[in-house]
Amino acid sequence: MAFREYKIGARMFGLAFGTSMFITLYMPAVDIQDVSATSIAMDRQLSFGRVGGFSYEDPFLQGWAKPITVQITQDPKTGAAIESTRAFVYEKDVPFPNGIRHPRILGKLPAAASESKGRINEASEAQGAVFIVREEVENGELVPFIENATATRGWTPEATLAKAADSQRLLVGKGKIMFVREGCWWCHTLLPEQTQDWQYFGAPPMLGDFNGESPTAFGSDRKAPDLTHVGSRNSSREWMMMHFFNPRLVQSHSIMPRYDYLWGEKDANGNTIDYDGWRAEYTAYTNGESVYPPEVPVPAADSEARALIDFVLNLK
Amino acid sequence: MFKYLFAKAEDIPAGSAAVYFGYSSIIWFVIGTGLGSFNAAKLAFPDFVTGSEILSFGHMRQVHVLAVILGWISMAFAMAMMYITPALGNTKLWSEKLGVWNCFIWNIGLSLGLFLLWLGVSSGREYSDMPFFIDVVVILGVLTPLCVNVFMTIKTRRTQGIYTTNWFFGAATFMVIIVFSVGNSPEFFQLTGLTEAYLTWWFAHNVLGLWITPVAAAISYYVVPKVTGNPLYSHRIGHLHFWSVVVFYSTPAAHHLMSAPLPEWLKSFASVEGVLILVPAIAFVSNLLLTMTGKWRMFVENIEIKFTITGVLMAIPLNMQGGFQQTRAINWYIHGTGWIVAHAHLALLGFSTFLEAAAVYYGLQTLLRRKLYSLGLANFHFWMLLVGFTTYWVSMTIAGLIQGAGKIYEVPYIDVVIAEHPYMIARWVGGTMVFLGNCVWLYNMYKTARVGTAIPAGRLPHELAYER
Amino acid sequence: MAWKFDNPLYTLSSDDQNEAAKKVWEGESLGGITEDNNRLPVPVIGLLILTIITAFLVTFPLWGQRPNAAIYEEYIALMDSPAVQGKSDKEAMEYIVNKVKSEGSKWAPLQERHPVEMDDLRLIKDAIIELKRQNADLREYTVLGNKLVLANFEGNWITDPNTGKIRRERVQPWWDKGYTIDIFFIVVFCVSVVIAVKRLPPYDWEPTHHGH
Repeated sequence: MAFREYKIGARMFGLAFGTSMFITLYMPAVDIQDVSATSIAMDRQLSFGRVGGFSYEDPFLQGWAKPITVQITQDPKTGAAIESTRAFVYEKDVPFPNGIRHPRILGKLPAAASESKGRINEASEAQGAVFIVREEVENGELVPFIENATATRGWTPEATLAKAADSQRLLVGKGKIMFVREGCWWCHTLLPEQTQDWQYFGAPPMLGDFNGESPTAFGSDRKAPDLTHVGSRNSSREWMMMHFFNPRLVQSHSIMPRYDYLWGEKDANGNTIDYDGWRAEYTAYTNGESVYPPEVPVPAADSEARALIDFVLNLK
Repeated sequence: MFKYLFAKAEDIPAGSAAVYFGYSSIIWFVIGTGLGSFNAAKLAFPDFVTGSEILSFGHMRQVHVLAVILGWISMAFAMAMMYITPALGNTKLWSEKLGVWNCFIWNIGLSLGLFLLWLGVSSGREYSDMPFFIDVVVILGVLTPLCVNVFMTIKTRRTQGIYTTNWFFGAATFMVIIVFSVGNSPEFFQLTGLTEAYLTWWFAHNVLGLWITPVAAAISYYVVPKVTGNPLYSHRIGHLHFWSVVVFYSTPAAHHLMSAPLPEWLKSFASVEGVLILVPAIAFVSNLLLTMTGKWRMFVENIEIKFTITGVLMAIPLNMQGGFQQTRAINWYIHGTGWIVAHAHLALLGFSTFLEAAAVYYGLQTLLRRKLYSLGLANFHFWMLLVGFTTYWVSMTIAGLIQGAGKIYEVPYIDVVIAEHPYMIARWVGGTMVFLGNCVWLYNMYKTARVGTAIPAGRLPHELAYER
Repeated sequence: MAWKFDNPLYTLSSDDQNEAAKKVWEGESLGGITEDNNRLPVPVIGLLILTIITAFLVTFPLWGQRPNAAIYEEYIALMDSPAVQGKSDKEAMEYIVNKVKSEGSKWAPLQERHPVEMDDLRLIKDAIIELKRQNADLREYTVLGNKLVLANFEGNWITDPNTGKIRRERVQPWWDKGYTIDIFFIVVFCVSVVIAVKRLPPYDWEPTHHGH
């Protein structure tokens, strides 16, 4: 290229930019795509559902068409007592996560096991399905896989939900939508750091812990504690409830916003929540005019607050 | 503006698109910094405007970020391209009508996107949080027409040469289309897991590295020689700058995920390349400062040079931070802290905003053929921006170091929150100063269009004395 | 395109080509802007070379490392030696640290950065001995209080000596293909830019701009 040889310059530009793209896109993509999913990755995607952000089935991020995570102690088909089992219930027309839709992304061995032993290719969104995560030793190696319990054990979504009382249901999928919509991840990261966070925030994740999950919502600006393992540090539903309603009730120095609006109009008992009255009483309390803060209403079973609390408690 | 959308091409006065883009960008700047100031108030005083979903921090933070990036900065870029590209080719903008439409669709699309984002309709990925149909509007309705207009204007130039600024404009408008298309592909193709996380940060890195940084630099390559009358110090250094942006700025995307379990080779690669962003930075700063030789009094006397050179000088700390904070040796300390927030504002509110503000000041005066209404207000704007930004940057850097120490020594998090509180208030004060300064700027530019002194034909705006 | 290689660091273009370029360069004003042909100042070249060297140095995993199990291996081995019998914990620890230091350990910097007490060592002793028995690579385990946890670094591919399988090393490597690609990138970049710049008229010529 000499002075003003723009044709050669344009070709050099294409070459330079193309090489950059090859190294930063193609090479890592090839590297990451071979990674086998861990059982954590399977649990995460099955409990979150297909997408945790904007999607066709839930364009306004209301938590529509999301799976329900249940803990059951009775076999939904026979009614016999079984070991406490975590199952992911996809009712009719709830989209499956990516590991079911494209088993390839689970990695070679888990994908093969999920298809042969787990029979996930028999699951149909039109009829709904119940999934569980299992691990079995194959050739001396522990291989996690997804089992389609509707095919292997005859557990239908309706029968499975019937065996799980409300207290045994976690609306994790809807909760993740709330987490993204309300911008929790602008302050709370979901990624303990490799070199620094082991003791306080728990073990950082492995490469295979995310296959099939979207968005990962790692967050970038940590203005508040990491939440990856928060359910292990604090499993009190009561505390979470007060903290979401008004964080200053349990942590006077917190700068977290109040999320009382996620309670909706009625509380768990069907009574209309009097927000203005609550705030007036709370102001009186902070001014020292009353000894105790007002009671926090219990969120209704279908409220957004309940789903968000379920999501947070489920982060173990 | 609306009357030109369906007017005949020859009825649209030259420069209309640039003027519309210029005023749009200032209005978006006022909106964006207003939101920023409001958000900062919420971090300092958590019970300030509370209990409303639509006014909660989590719903407004991303609106602030994208209003500033896609509204203020990118529209100021479009404005600069629409008058600088033809000026450097001694020609007219290829299609003034396309430019007017571009501005119209940009404003509509961005308003719609930000409105949805404000409601919470988000893809959940930082910087690429708009839902995919808005991304499509941005790619096809905003970036592609801009790229076509810039390329065709360069192609129909009436000079033999293409000046350095136009290399950058051409390359950046092309690269940003690729960056937007690839960066949003997780949503188009439902990519998941770490691939998605990596592409999110690949986008965030490249939209800064291949769009904001080079275009801002290109603007100053025009403003400094034009206003001072000096020749650009070196065409050769221009080569070094341009090629190192393409090679070294397009590669370190993975350094945003240094603490995630990505393959280590990718991080080693990105970290070394990340330090090498100092190569274009050194080339840029030395070329511009040496161009100023003999004209340094304009740094004090001339408002455009004052803005531009302040921006160029800010490139020095910006790139020293940017180059080194991402390495394995340093990243573990400041990753995810307020230090990074300070750095991001140094890049967008410090370095790039000052360069663009100069282009908008200069461009609007040239295109409207009217001298700036008030130098006093312009100087007030400059100092509000500089002092406000510096307050912000210093306070967030200190807060970041506190957070870093808290992270390393694993102190209970609430103690970090308490220790940061004074700096959160300082950040709010700084951000509010920037917002107020911008309100004054909008007023000043409005008055310039209405009652500014007319510039006689054949004269440049900075050659005329100020009347107020 | 005519090339001239007799003085490559002066100019790579033929004289005709340079003369033609000079003519165009001087004759044209691009929207009222002209360009000079100054060389890159020598101190700036030094700065660029320094930048390239520093880039590699600060990327090596030097600081911010958590303690791994390997750095305490030598301490553990000395815990039951006759020399420490009958000493108080404090004296024994002092003896062990000094002994390891005087014999020269490859982990000396990390040992200094992550000091331990005898009680800490007792907590991890059994776990380290167990890992050694399994022939595990101690560098891959992070020390967390009383636990040794496999680190999540995705390092270079190695053949596991125990199972014979190919897997990733769980350490941050000192060299990997990332650095190799960097060197390739930098070399190609420098060569290309030098060629591009040396194809211009040599820098001892300055355009006069004819009063533009």
